[in-house]
Amino acid sequence: MATVRVQNVSKWFPRRDGESLHVLQNIELDVPEKTIVAIVGESGSGKSTLLNIIAGLVKPDRGCVLLNGVKSSEFTDWRSMTYMFQDDRLLPWRTAAANVAFGLEAAHVSRAERKQRVAETLALVGLSDFADLYPHELSGGMRSRVALARSLVTRPTLLLMDEPFSKLDPTIRAQMHAEVLRIASLMAMTVIFVTHDPEEAVVLANKVVLLNPRPGRVRETRTIDLPYPRDPSAPEVNEQARALRRSL
Amino acid sequence: MPVAPPTPLAQERAETRTPTHLARERRLRLIAQRLALIVLLLIVWQVASLNAPAFVLPSPKRVWEAWSGLVVTANFWKDFGITFSRVFTGFAFAAVIGVLFGLLLGANEKLGEFFEPVLTIINTVSSTIWAIFALIWFGLSNWTTIFVVFMTAMPLILTNVWQGTRSVNVDFIELAQTFRMSRLQVMQKIYLPTILPPFFSAARLAFGFGARVSLVAETLGASSGIGYRLRQAADLVQTDQVFAWTLTLVALMIALEALILKPIENRLFSWKKRAGDQ
Ligand SMILES: Nc1ncnc2c1ncn2[C@@H]1O[C@H](COP(=O)(O)OP(=O)(O)OP(=O)(O)O)[C@@H](O)[C@H]1O
Ligand SMILES: [Mg+2]
Repeated sequence: MATVRVQNVSKWFPRRDGESLHVLQNIELDVPEKTIVAIVGESGSGKSTLLNIIAGLVKPDRGCVLLNGVKSSEFTDWRSMTYMFQDDRLLPWRTAAANVAFGLEAAHVSRAERKQRVAETLALVGLSDFADLYPHELSGGMRSRVALARSLVTRPTLLLMDEPFSKLDPTIRAQMHAEVLRIASLMAMTVIFVTHDPEEAVVLANKVVLLNPRPGRVRETRTIDLPYPRDPSAPEVNEQARALRRSL
Repeated sequence: MPVAPPTPLAQERAETRTPTHLARERRLRLIAQRLALIVLLLIVWQVASLNAPAFVLPSPKRVWEAWSGLVVTANFWKDFGITFSRVFTGFAFAAVIGVLFGLLLGANEKLGEFFEPVLTIINTVSSTIWAIFALIWFGLSNWTTIFVVFMTAMPLILTNVWQGTRSVNVDFIELAQTFRMSRLQVMQKIYLPTILPPFFSAARLAFGFGARVSLVAETLGASSGIGYRLRQAADLVQTDQVFAWTLTLVALMIALEALILKPIENRLFSWKKRAGDQ
């Protein structure tokens, strides 16, 4: 299980001229178990910063984040969450399988179990036949799947993604969306992701959080009540995406 | 009649077949070229030796005879072993110290800035000067040669490892952090693989330099080893012996490169995208 509660979080970054940049202001966000939340907002509105604060990679200046009800400063079960970057960040000197294994190497998992879990996870993303290829031998979509597998191999209950598929072409992107939805429900994951794209938000999320820029504030939170799978060309989906785009 | 352009498929098939074909052809041509070059050099050598006294330029035959005489002696192999054990020892120290300090200076920017001039100084001092210092400090002992090899090889390895740590991709470090890896794990899983290619090329270079300067050190400050034998042969004007030793060394270094270092490199870095790939 995984729940996230962001309580009254504010963040400033020091600027080179000695002033400070107010990036996030009194952010409140409640993510119940097994929900998929999209954070949208224009560039520089602090989406990545918010995600990094949830991930414990950046400390908030005010407020706090509760992970499963525990303050992140006291939280210890960090390996129950994983973080996917915008780029795949595959290590070029490792094969696909070894890149997936990277996710398990920090956790104390025996060699035999590691091997088995890597194989399972590669199968889950449909890459069993490509385990021994190096990143430069894989297509963009395959690389993205390897990165997803690396994030899933630890069996996280919380998956954080920062514009994970924005560099893929539309067809492969749609495939990855279907994949994430399938796996999220299979593994009962809570997912929080950042996106620029209203359509991606509507196709994937139960809940969309809109951030206003400078400083980033929650402008509105929307619930998307459409049944899955959501066809990106269906009129209801289009309608919601258009509405979201208008308020951006 | 106009010829139809090849279909994309046919073109592709032709392209996938030719590289292996071309590679084999190229390899055969290379072998032929090398053999021709050896024959040519032997001829030039033979002709030149006809017009020179043997103590200036011995003929190939004479050198061959000297070499055959040398190889059967126990001393030949002993001197060989002594020289290479000195080179390996100096090189091993250089590799360990070079990697450790390279990593340290790379990890700590202030430390690196502070010590950078030391490296420049070491690099400007010639191996002969190190040999003279070594002679003063260690006398006629193994350590004289080992020290010279070390002082030649270590800065090369250190510099390359240090530069290598600077090229570490911070994105990968960030990735390791999201998996909550320890500092040691980051060193082992991100830094080490990144510095391996520059380390390896530096090590190859350093070993070659080390092997060469070891002879200088041995002619000056040793009573055994190949360098010492070379000086002895020169003192006695046994030019054929000098040639025999030299050719043995050349052959050995080429063999080491082709049979050990190159295959290791190919194996270690098989993940690298080759420049010709698209
Ligand atoms: N480490 C940092 N130090 C200083 N300023 C930062 C840092 N990280 C982000 N910022 C600033 O904070 C603001 C918000 O950045 P953030 O990356 O969170 O935006 P974003 O909404 O993710 O933008 P984008 O959609 O372009 O990715 C930006 O103005 C950025 O310059
Ligand atoms: Mg961002």
